[in-house]
Amino acid sequence: MDIFGISINHKTASIELRESLHLSVDEIKEFIPILKESIFFEGFILSTCNRTEIFGVPKRDNITFEDIQKCLLKFKHVEGLASKHFHNYFSCSAVKHILEVASSIDSLIVGDGQILGQVKDAFYLSDELGFSKTVFHKLYEASVHVGKRSINETTIGQGAVTISFAAIKVLEKIFSSFQSKSALVIGAGETGTLAAVHLREMGIGKLSITNRTLSKTEVLASKVNGSIVNFNSLKDSLEDFDIIISATSSDHYIIEYDEIKSMMKKRKGVLTCIMDIAVPRDINPKVSELDGMFYNDIDSLNIIVNENLQKREKEIPKVNKIILEEMTTFFKWANTLDVVPTIKDFRDFFEEIRLDEIGKIRHKVHDYEFEKVDNMTKRIIGRILHHPTWNLKHLSETGTDYETAKKYSDIIRELFNLDNKNRNNGEK
Amino acid sequence: MLQVMQIMSYWLLGLYFITFAGYLYDFFADKKFLHNAKRLFLFVTLLFHVVYLVERTIFLGHLPIVTQFEIFSLLAFSIGFTYFLIELLTDIRGTGVFILIVAFIFQMQSTLFIQDDYQVHSILQNYPLGTHVITAILGFSAISISAAYALMYLLLYKNIKSNKFTTIFKRLPNLEILELLNFYAIIIGFILLTIAIVIGLTWMPSAFPEFSYWDPKIITTMVVWLVYCVEIILKLRKKIIGKRFAKYSLYGFIFSILSLLFTNTVLNSFHDFVN
Repeated sequence: MDIFGISINHKTASIELRESLHLSVDEIKEFIPILKESIFFEGFILSTCNRTEIFGVPKRDNITFEDIQKCLLKFKHVEGLASKHFHNYFSCSAVKHILEVASSIDSLIVGDGQILGQVKDAFYLSDELGFSKTVFHKLYEASVHVGKRSINETTIGQGAVTISFAAIKVLEKIFSSFQSKSALVIGAGETGTLAAVHLREMGIGKLSITNRTLSKTEVLASKVNGSIVNFNSLKDSLEDFDIIISATSSDHYIIEYDEIKSMMKKRKGVLTCIMDIAVPRDINPKVSELDGMFYNDIDSLNIIVNENLQKREKEIPKVNKIILEEMTTFFKWANTLDVVPTIKDFRDFFEEIRLDEIGKIRHKVHDYEFEKVDNMTKRIIGRILHHPTWNLKHLSETGTDYETAKKYSDIIRELFNLDNKNRNNGEK
Repeated sequence: MLQVMQIMSYWLLGLYFITFAGYLYDFFADKKFLHNAKRLFLFVTLLFHVVYLVERTIFLGHLPIVTQFEIFSLLAFSIGFTYFLIELLTDIRGTGVFILIVAFIFQMQSTLFIQDDYQVHSILQNYPLGTHVITAILGFSAISISAAYALMYLLLYKNIKSNKFTTIFKRLPNLEILELLNFYAIIIGFILLTIAIVIGLTWMPSAFPEFSYWDPKIITTMVVWLVYCVEIILKLRKKIIGKRFAKYSLYGFIFSILSLLFTNTVLNSFHDFVN
């Protein structure tokens, strides 16, 4: 099976290089016709923030990995990338790699839940542009099987593996519903924004934002439909919040132990959770000693993340087993691609002879006699062809003996002159 | 028949043990196949318990609520049954191990020490006593369950506080839910205990010539009732919440157990029907 392709991902190149070769949907739409014209008969392109994968069935035998790399670099007008930044895959390894990507074991975060959807979208796009044909339709099926089976039959996708998701997991163990809760996000930078968006998605009842720079606060507050708390009077309103997430770039504590202690006194023991995800920390960690106060910083949340990552990595052998099973199915199918036309031609060849010969006696015998002869010749042909057909199919389906199957197929075509039916008729 | 009853009692203990072991194993191992199997096993155990109680009632000719150990068996049943209903209604399956251990311990005491041959006081064979005892048992089951939820609350609280995200963290429902379940169990327990006390105080003076309001059992029961009454008032007025509420429930349960044991074993009471 001639599938081959290239991959640039987090294992082969830095984020800057990966970004430089990232292909948007519009770019893929523009790039596929170029590939179709000069390199691939069919194929697909997957491009995410962590990887760009280009795979296909080559148009000619002399196409090399460098041809695909050059074509991509030329299209993106990128210089300075060498072959070492790409991984090249051929035949079995190409299929295996595509399935590994779909199963998420090749992702930066093992078990990444988004990758299967991205793989599906990539196949859809290729199909839409007429780039995906027989082989890649089947490969799409195999990829979806692998992705779904990995999720359903293993625990590769379970557990929080990002700080923000781990923070949510902790919050979920404290509060039963977020609708009746109020949250304050301190800091309107990248982390603060992410936290605010997460809280809004969780359905938090009241969301407030505070930041030193008012303009930034206003932008984030409008984005997440939150209210604004004046940064200078922040300490006076702390008791109004059940959840406080702090992510500023301050180099010292912005909230001290005594301030939280006084806040807890005013809250009369109502459970409160502080997620201090700033580095260095924004809130004095001593507050964790207070009754009813749950304090988590990056380190404590990392405990959850690391534990879950380790668990996911332990699932990789199970996923590899699934990949192997799906590869076997795929190659069984792929190997029959060459043999099926031979079997069909072979049977057609005998059927034509049979029909030709019984046609000669059609008007010389009674109908009932003709029917008997017709049935008898069908049975004879069936018995003659049974073993060659079965053996050829079996050889091709075993997957490991593809070469033998091809050899047999070629011999049959040669012996019975199946590629030149007109000549057969002429000789007749 | 006596022998059948004894064999059934041991079988019942075995079933409670297997059910508890199933819940315990699932709590730590979190195996998919056990999620429904353990519930089914609990159902079978409770069904067998009903058969055992019916069989005992038929053979002895009265409800099995006479001796302390018969009551323990009824307690085990009502705790198991109440938990079964809670699990069915809420689909929270991670708390069973903490509750079923209480049921198992009560059943163990019952199986090991129960007497099958004794004289039954004639007064014990009437309707008010049955209602009094059954409501008291159900009430006590409810406060046992509340204590189990309080314990779970404290364990989870400590887990989150100390950033030790162990099995407790993974398998128990959240703190607010545990607090709510604890509170509901106390409310139910309190109502049932109140009914039991009202029936007892209304019926006992006419049934027992030696009845006294200063009887140690009545006094301790009233103190237990008062403890939970105060807890409910404080909770409703939001004076105790979270960890303090959980601790109160747990201490309240320990106090009620100790006071019942003390009055049953040390002090003399007209409320003792076996002797």
